[in-house]
Amino acid sequence: MSNETATAYPGVAALVHKHLGKIPFTASKHSTDVVLHVAPDHFLELVRGLKERRELAFDFLRNVTAIDMTEEGLRAVYHFYSFKHHHSLQVDVNTPPGNPHIPSLTALYSAANWHEREAAEMVGLVFDGHPNPKNLLLDEDVRIHPLLKAHPLQKAELFQGIEDTSAGFKF
Amino acid sequence: MTVWPEERTASIDSFNTVDMTINVGPQHPATHGVFRMVLTVDGEVVVDCEPYIGYLHRGLEKLTENHDYRQSMGWWDRTDYLAGICCEQAYCMAVEKLGNIEVPERAEYIRVMMAELSRILSHFMFFGAFGADVGSFGTSFIYAWRERERIYDFFEEVAGDRMFPTYLRPGGVQMDLPDGWEKRVNEILGHIEQGLEDFDGLLTGNEIFVERCRGLSPVSKEQAIDWGLSGPMIRATGLAHDIRRAEPYSVYDRLQFNIPTGKNGDVFDRYMVRMAEAYQSTKIVRQCMEQMPNSGLVLNPDLPKTLRIDEGECYVRTEGTKGEYGVYGLARGGNKPYRMKLRSPSFCNLSALKQMVVGHYVADAVIILGSLDIVLGEVDK
Repeated sequence: MSNETATAYPGVAALVHKHLGKIPFTASKHSTDVVLHVAPDHFLELVRGLKERRELAFDFLRNVTAIDMTEEGLRAVYHFYSFKHHHSLQVDVNTPPGNPHIPSLTALYSAANWHEREAAEMVGLVFDGHPNPKNLLLDEDVRIHPLLKAHPLQKAELFQGIEDTSAGFKF
Repeated sequence: MTVWPEERTASIDSFNTVDMTINVGPQHPATHGVFRMVLTVDGEVVVDCEPYIGYLHRGLEKLTENHDYRQSMGWWDRTDYLAGICCEQAYCMAVEKLGNIEVPERAEYIRVMMAELSRILSHFMFFGAFGADVGSFGTSFIYAWRERERIYDFFEEVAGDRMFPTYLRPGGVQMDLPDGWEKRVNEILGHIEQGLEDFDGLLTGNEIFVERCRGLSPVSKEQAIDWGLSGPMIRATGLAHDIRRAEPYSVYDRLQFNIPTGKNGDVFDRYMVRMAEAYQSTKIVRQCMEQMPNSGLVLNPDLPKTLRIDEGECYVRTEGTKGEYGVYGLARGGNKPYRMKLRSPSFCNLSALKQMVVGHYVADAVIILGSLDIVLGEVDK
């Protein structure tokens, strides 16, 4: 039994399970990090626990990645680090197709602000509660999501010189 | 309009002052590239700052997703274009992690040596540009150029190109170092040490420079962590965090070096941390030269012509010249990555600009921006 728990929650995931066992999540491991998979509904609760529990203390948000998993919907990948315990963790949040809403982490980590703006414009994730949800790297008027797999590599050039970009270019 | 005596005696409070908006950039010498910020000022004091980025956005991640693993090499050294080798190293490490590719020992040492030379070079550019921001005009810039060109000459001898060497490959490096490289590196290191001493005298020895930087925009450890700062920015606050030591990669666990830290996290500490770091990098280069195997392969010979990776995921973090340079990779079959994400240190450091600038004078805003040491290629991807 103990062996089973150890494989279900590798490394730091076992520690998270011990302290935040009430929150439903699954865990896995890849070549560099332990990954927690959590639903968008429980995401904010989990991250608050990760940050505020003294035994976990994930105080540093390293990175946010947005991925278009095509038929599986959009995925946001968060990387956390703890300066206190020197451990790191990856959290995957999968949103169902057609409902790309994830709670914003800006209230917990100031660093999340620009990361989330970038993720939002690149694939079209919506971060609920973001204080400034504007385009960051792309033009402010442009409503395209270039990192969607359906977005063609070379088509973006066409937008230059077109006056009304808000009319909607659907890819 | 005639001003009547009784109105002239009105107190300063009765004046109706309006906040003024100043646009800085995107074409402005103090922004170190194409970066724009809109400052709202009350008299001389900045009350709000809104940065705008993306002028150099080239769709790095989209391009990487659509090209062969090896074809993408050339774009990644164009992110932090002052230290191309460091970026190449991070990208190659990500591909190697995804595909479980081994790197020969000699190649690892060559990579670290070249990366540390890039770090020195990038810091030299910081001293030059930052000195110019504070007010040394061209003097510091030209001195920085001298050492930079010496290092670039060596890069050209090794890889054939100065700024964008595209020297690394997944599984090693493109070719071995040229004959007589030890002599050349020793010569360059001598020049670098002399150059650092010159800068120490030119900038640290200058009272005006020190007085303008000391105590300006201090950042506490807690703020730095919350804002997502990394690299010299976070070390200036006194937190001895360096990925090369905290999560060692390549051969850094075999090398001896100190992690210089500041105390107050102010602009002066950020400058001093970089100065001390450049000295440490010369130490690392010397150790690499001593420890490097004299001969051997520099590229893994077992690699196929087309690299295909069935499945893999990784988040590779390296200590870039500006901070934590991370690459998140996801492979799902084929000869292209499914997703490659750059965690750019300049991007994260720059996102905290507003918090650092508000409450300071307009003239100091330029210095604070300079002390972040941003590279727009890396910010905009």
